[in-house]
Amino acid sequence: MTIVTAISGRLLKAVITLLMIVILNFFLIHAAPGDPAAVMAGEAGAADAQYIAQLREQFGLDQPLLTQFWNYVSGILQLDLGYSYRQQMPVLDLILERLPATLILTLTAFGMSLILGIVFGLAAAARQGKWSDTIITSLSLLFYATPLFWVALMAVVLFSIKLGWFPAFGYETVGADYSGFRVVLDRLEHLVLPAFTLGLFFMAVYLRMTRSSVLEVSQMDFVKTARAKGLSENIIRRRHILRNALLPVVTLAGLQAGQLVGGAVLTETVFAWPGIGRLMFESLTARDYNTLLGVFLISAAMVILFNIMTDLVYRLIDPRIGAGGSS
Amino acid sequence: MIDFMKRFSQNRGAVIGLTILTLVILIAVFAPLLYPNSPWKMVQRPFLVPFSVDGFLLGTDTLGRDVAAGLAHGARVSLIVGLVSTLVALLIGVPLGALAGFYGGLVDDGAMRFTEFFQTIPNFALAIVLVAILEPTLPTITLAIAIVSWPPVARLVRAEVLSLRRREFVDAARLAGLSNMRILFGHVLPNAMSPIIVMASLMVATAILLESSLSFLGLGDPNIMSWGYMIGAARTVIRNAWWLSFIPGLAILLTVLALNLIGEGLNDALNPRLARKGR
Amino acid sequence: MKKFITTSLMALTLAGAAHAENRLDIVVQPEPPSLMLGLVSNGPTQLVAGDIYESLLRYDTDLNPMPSLATSWEISDDALTYTFKLREGVTWHDGKPFTSADVVFSVDKFLRETHARLRVSLKHVESITAPDDYTVVFKLKQPFGPFIGVFEAGTMPMIPKHIYEGTDYKTNPANNTPIGTGPFKFKAWEKGSYIHLVKNENYYLDGKPALDDVYYRVIPDAASRAVAFENGEVDVLPGGSVENWDVKRLIEMDGVCSTGHGWEYFAPHAMAWMNNRQGPTASKEFRKAVMYATDREFVKNVIWNGYGTVATSPVSSKTNFYSDDTIKYNYDPDKARELLKASGYNGETVRILPLPYGETWQRWAEAMKQNLEEIGVNVQVVATDVAGWNQKQAEWDFDIAFTYLYQYGDPALGVARSYLSSNIAKGSPWNNVAGYKNPKVDDLFAKAAIAPTNEQRQKLYTEIQQILVDDVPVAWQLEIEFPTIYRCNVKDLVTTAIGVNDGLRDAYLED
Repeated sequence: MTIVTAISGRLLKAVITLLMIVILNFFLIHAAPGDPAAVMAGEAGAADAQYIAQLREQFGLDQPLLTQFWNYVSGILQLDLGYSYRQQMPVLDLILERLPATLILTLTAFGMSLILGIVFGLAAAARQGKWSDTIITSLSLLFYATPLFWVALMAVVLFSIKLGWFPAFGYETVGADYSGFRVVLDRLEHLVLPAFTLGLFFMAVYLRMTRSSVLEVSQMDFVKTARAKGLSENIIRRRHILRNALLPVVTLAGLQAGQLVGGAVLTETVFAWPGIGRLMFESLTARDYNTLLGVFLISAAMVILFNIMTDLVYRLIDPRIGAGGSS
Repeated sequence: MIDFMKRFSQNRGAVIGLTILTLVILIAVFAPLLYPNSPWKMVQRPFLVPFSVDGFLLGTDTLGRDVAAGLAHGARVSLIVGLVSTLVALLIGVPLGALAGFYGGLVDDGAMRFTEFFQTIPNFALAIVLVAILEPTLPTITLAIAIVSWPPVARLVRAEVLSLRRREFVDAARLAGLSNMRILFGHVLPNAMSPIIVMASLMVATAILLESSLSFLGLGDPNIMSWGYMIGAARTVIRNAWWLSFIPGLAILLTVLALNLIGEGLNDALNPRLARKGR
Repeated sequence: MKKFITTSLMALTLAGAAHAENRLDIVVQPEPPSLMLGLVSNGPTQLVAGDIYESLLRYDTDLNPMPSLATSWEISDDALTYTFKLREGVTWHDGKPFTSADVVFSVDKFLRETHARLRVSLKHVESITAPDDYTVVFKLKQPFGPFIGVFEAGTMPMIPKHIYEGTDYKTNPANNTPIGTGPFKFKAWEKGSYIHLVKNENYYLDGKPALDDVYYRVIPDAASRAVAFENGEVDVLPGGSVENWDVKRLIEMDGVCSTGHGWEYFAPHAMAWMNNRQGPTASKEFRKAVMYATDREFVKNVIWNGYGTVATSPVSSKTNFYSDDTIKYNYDPDKARELLKASGYNGETVRILPLPYGETWQRWAEAMKQNLEEIGVNVQVVATDVAGWNQKQAEWDFDIAFTYLYQYGDPALGVARSYLSSNIAKGSPWNNVAGYKNPKVDDLFAKAAIAPTNEQRQKLYTEIQQILVDDVPVAWQLEIEFPTIYRCNVKDLVTTAIGVNDGLRDAYLED
């Protein structure tokens, strides 16, 4: 099976999965008590039943659930994610507006955690048994066990409030008319704490996985053979150990995509980061069904995409895998 | 068994973990004796700093409630939620994975599609939606956590069963006339126990983290004093009283850490082949 | 090396972060769903749009009317005719002139359809006419004392007729770029981050507004909002933006001022509905027990840091026609226990529904739970978010439900709606949710609304308060004080009864 066939197969499966997710979440979300009309009417401060009924009609909530469902699904198939009455704009536009912020955050956190995790994992494996190894592994255990939101809060207290090194929240310094390099610097500065806290947990995961994977592979027969053949340690490390040891790390990284999105919700809430994680939570409390469903859809799509990409990387690293797809 | 215990006790990390966990369990069990009053009772001036007043070792919170009492009672909640949700997740995942791995074919396909589907939805997001629908009470939170946690179990069990079912003892059992069900649940699964146990200990840790995250966001049971709740409630006063967020967070950290260490210890003790390399 | 990088980063950002001259950063929480004040009138929308839209009048902190778009007004001797003379030379933000036709359109057509609260007052209006371009006449069916108090920016904002007439108001594209007559124009809205308003260069008052730019910052986390104020990123924290524990600390900082003014029009009144229809709360003795059992002074001192006043009546002491001559429910757990027994309470669980708007309210529900458990009631706090809270009240699915309501300066506008039996209807959390039925009170309210003199009105309202406090259908808790916190160099920010909502017209920065 060529890569093309494999990928198209995956894509087809992905579409079906997404559709099923839409169906499940649609009915799930409508099962929650209260509706957007009540929320918005409530916020209007003195709404009466007539006003709420007006809103319901406007939002199409007075129609039977199945009709609403049908309308929604037909919309999805035309790439129309519906309208957010709360934010007064189409859901797709709303999500596209907030998506970049989340992508910047999660990709930075992910990249950072992957790179640092692998680097330190390798370092720990190379110094196995020594003090430095113990320190690294103990610290990673610590990071693995810490509640994300707590780390975020403590980071804000320490680095922002007490030390004043980084801003406590937000995406950028509002209203400051920076241009060029200053903009980049400003954004980076705001990115540090959130990305760091989000990535801490995952860094620990990749660190431990890399370390144990390297140790396991180092003991394997083909490595012993290579050594016996007299190949230099460097080549052994790079070509044999690394390649094989990284495989499980890559798989793991792919599986973590979903958790990364979940972690984004917490991080974005604590740091007031204008991304879709926070949007998801806000639209849940506002019962903004369309937006909530849209966010679910997009995050599921991201996860699936991520998995497909991980698969590709996997194949690239391990040329032994060509056919079959799942080992 | 002796071998196992010996190997476990040689792992320093595991022993530390076990000690910590035992301490937590003891505190949880004896909480009503140590702190007979409800942790919700407003007993002193608010915002007492830890170690400043006799009898209130860890100070008081925003309404003047005893932090130490909250911590002790919160231990029960965290442990119960962790244990029960893991059990429920196992109850869902183990049979599913076992059946998928044993029977293969359509059963396997269907089960795996179902599992993959669940794994594609970001599990924290799903938990939040479930809790919002079901309205946050201790049982619903436990259920929601179980629902988002079972897929990895199913995959693990399936993988184990897949490899085990080709073994000779299974053929032997078949020849002896045992039904498939008996073979699966009576013979195959017991041999897959070790990785399931290891995974279970890690799942309890994750469940505790999930519950505290939900409580932090305000989706916890408002009648239950849990560690996550304490951190969430203290979030708005983090400038005046950062220790109110710090202390329960530390408790969560230590418990989760202990569970992770125990899980690793179990893994090493049950899989000596890997342990031999001195991890 | 790390230190060098961080210090240089800091230096660069601080240099750029110093705010431009004449700019104000104000927190808005939560983010408003829309800025079209005619369609949406919740708190955040009023905060931001109150400087974009205007009404005929403004009110000072004693609730006395002052000119705004109307320069003068006259009430006829029989109190049936209100004549307003409008300011000349006022233009909308798009340059078109503002005239009496806009007023008639706004009230008679637009707001009558969209504004539930104003609709109630409009019931008393017989006709609205514009004899010329700068005069508007309101004719009432009978005297209605509160009427002079409804000409406020959030209650009766002026809407441009030339943009909205004949269109579907809710989907008119202009809703995204609100057009008013106010001192500030809408510039930009970055969702999830900030709303940017700029000075209206053609504003009709010379020299006003003094500020050039206003940014309303969206920061969803309460602790972050406090931090933002502390490190200079925002200059104003409108009431209710930060939790009370931060208020105390922030006010004590150097160069920080605060004021409790600016809420007189709203006079937020915190209370807890008690379900008069079913459950233990249907019994008057039980409700009285609840009042004696709850320590409202504790709540005020500990949860609200001393801000606010314990409420003794359905009418706020800041609202007209308040009366002190009622039964007082002081904290008395023993008396509460007696009454509990007398009510025949047999241990059923009583559910408390807290307000889902922050930690303060959660703590409050917890405190009430403690108080009630101490006299022997079994209590459960229900977990809920905004939508659930709305729904439970609307469906009468509660025993005790926290809420707070605005009084709008007059019992006829903000108080009566909660106690009239005609206002009992499922589907809204803003009517007579408790289900209180008392024909005598209904009658008194009806009379008091249209009584011709203030003395007569006071007499009637005093009687109403005495009856209500005795029947105690609702557990009144606190007259809430939401201090506005701001940098001392911001002057004249709060000069009206709605404070920061329309305060930017006169605000300026002192060097």
